[in-house]
Amino acid sequence: MNRVPWKSGLWRLVRNAALIAILASALGLALHSRLLWKVFTGRAVVSSQTSPGTGIEVALPLPVELEEVRELLGGDALLIDARSRDAYLEGHLPGARSLPREHIDEQLDAFRGQVPPDRPLIIYCSGYGCPDSFVLAEHLLAVGYRDVRVYEGGLPEWSNAGLPVERGQR
Amino acid sequence: MRFDRILFQVCRLTLGGIFLYAGLIKAWDVVAFAGSVANYQIPFLTYQLNYLVAASLPYIEMSAGLLLLINRQVRPAALLLGVLDLIFMVALVSVLIRGLDIDCGCFRPGGEGHTTAQAALLRDVGILALAAVSFFQPSWKKS
Repeated sequence: MNRVPWKSGLWRLVRNAALIAILASALGLALHSRLLWKVFTGRAVVSSQTSPGTGIEVALPLPVELEEVRELLGGDALLIDARSRDAYLEGHLPGARSLPREHIDEQLDAFRGQVPPDRPLIIYCSGYGCPDSFVLAEHLLAVGYRDVRVYEGGLPEWSNAGLPVERGQR
Repeated sequence: MRFDRILFQVCRLTLGGIFLYAGLIKAWDVVAFAGSVANYQIPFLTYQLNYLVAASLPYIEMSAGLLLLINRQVRPAALLLGVLDLIFMVALVSVLIRGLDIDCGCFRPGGEGHTTAQAALLRDVGILALAAVSFFQPSWKKS
């Protein structure tokens, strides 16, 4: 048999590189298994570096987690769905009001007419991968709403946690 | 060649140090790093997948970095980091094309520093060069 040294060398190289990647990933996944379990079962996770309410006067929305959302909804906080109207009609958090980020300019006046600026607002969209809630929150802060929070887990986390989802018009 | 030898050692140690540090700082706060990954808005990375990436990537970086530092499995580790670096560069180019204004999340996730995609790309070119030198180590060295 003719052996091709550089070929077997290359194969060993790639295999070893892949092994390092696989073993390291396995280590990371194992070390963070509790966190990942929470994520996959839809429970909220909070960054250890997130410290809401530091009192710094920068108009940035505060992130809130699932449990806080449920607590705040016991008060007079208003949930706002920043996704498209169609997505909202397919399913949204109970009691949420639709304010699609892409239609903010057309709908803002009507919204301001109905919702006073001191009412706490919680904005969500479709989970961590979506920017709409944050963009909308900054917009609402800029026009004078004082208590604006973003629920980053959004609809996926809420429904994964087995909480009810409302459909259709509100 | 003496110069070759020094260049290789410097590149190997620098590359290893950079990735050991980058991995450590991200593994420290996986949740914040998941947020950084989410910022890239990569369509197939769902909410849960962001966390899988955030929990594994720092450990790949740390392991390969450590191997380079202790001078073991240098070529596979350099290859792995080179490939990772290329993937980061593709992600950064897509950030530029889509016009997203995000922090690259390369080192300190959610930190006060803000590294633009352009700066991060430039840095990644340098890292790629380090990986190339570590990978194509001088022929005098048998590994």
